[in-house]
Amino acid sequence: MSIGDDDSVGKAEFYNRANVLKGKVGLDVQTNADGQLDPEKVKEADDLIKAMCKDCNKNMGEQIEGLVRAWAAMAALEQGDARTQKAQQVFTFAHDIKDIAALCGYSLAAHFAESLRDCITESSFAEKNQRIIVQAHIDALIVIQKNNLKDDAGPVAEELKETVKLAIEKYQ
Amino acid sequence: MVPTIQREHKHYDLSKFTILLVEDSVYMQTLISSMLKTFGVGDIVVCDGAEEAINLLTIMQARKQSRHINTVDIVLTDWLMPDGSGHELLQWIRSHEKEAICFLPVVVISGYTTERLTGLTRDLGANETLVKPISGKTLASRICTVIDHPRPFIRTANFFGPDRRRQDMPFEGKDRRSATPNIVDIE
Repeated sequence: MSIGDDDSVGKAEFYNRANVLKGKVGLDVQTNADGQLDPEKVKEADDLIKAMCKDCNKNMGEQIEGLVRAWAAMAALEQGDARTQKAQQVFTFAHDIKDIAALCGYSLAAHFAESLRDCITESSFAEKNQRIIVQAHIDALIVIQKNNLKDDAGPVAEELKETVKLAIEKYQ
Repeated sequence: MVPTIQREHKHYDLSKFTILLVEDSVYMQTLISSMLKTFGVGDIVVCDGAEEAINLLTIMQARKQSRHINTVDIVLTDWLMPDGSGHELLQWIRSHEKEAICFLPVVVISGYTTERLTGLTRDLGANETLVKPISGKTLASRICTVIDHPRPFIRTANFFGPDRRRQDMPFEGKDRRSATPNIVDIE
């Protein structure tokens, strides 16, 4: 529903505020001209990403190790608060791996990490089935990291995707 | 031939800016902070989650009379965090009674790329949404939009935040708004 759709919404107040930020960045508030960040600085920021991405595979490896540990601890627990907490850790690791991988162009790892992140919160899975599906994702991520696979295409990528897809379809 | 006029945009000096970055991933914290530093941002305050950010903003608000305490100019927040989400932080900011907090510009950074999330952040009062993976250009663009084009805030019975209509398009049809807006000018 948008603001205009509901007649019961009543009075709308508009707050026109002085643009304090514009004055703070050294521009004339009166002229209201647009400014920009120095393109050289923007390029430098992109160079920072590139520099970080040089260590992407190593960083992903560390995150995957954490993921494996959290998953092993989670799998050893019965249903309950402790298991939920561990699930949160697995979720966070998967989420971080997805961010790191996507940032550095590891699209295949980003794909599996995102899928794992979404699977871990899927409460409709039976516990045993969830274990198989999650393990399939983790195995795929380990293979990707060990072989430094970047692209979302190619025979190995297709095989990994097919394997995980089969696990999801069979055990969902 | 008519000569084209190249409009030179002045470069921003962000040295007097304070940006609050709320991000749980150490990797992303380091990266975004470094990018902001490269942009020349004077002060970058980092929190791991909404809970810490809320505590910090509360303290900053309480001590804002002190000349040594900078006020936050822009909040950059991740959406999904274990210690208090971006959702919680945005709700807290927009429902705060103090003007110094409720009008804070908020840019949501998210790895979720769904249209639903973009709609949700807008309806909760976010100024901008930045979808990961981030780049220098996208981060700079969101900061510049907040500075260059601050939208007026609107309060209705079920919304408080920047005007969700970004374009001033001519409207054909019946105007179903029930009241003439009350315009409040604030310094």
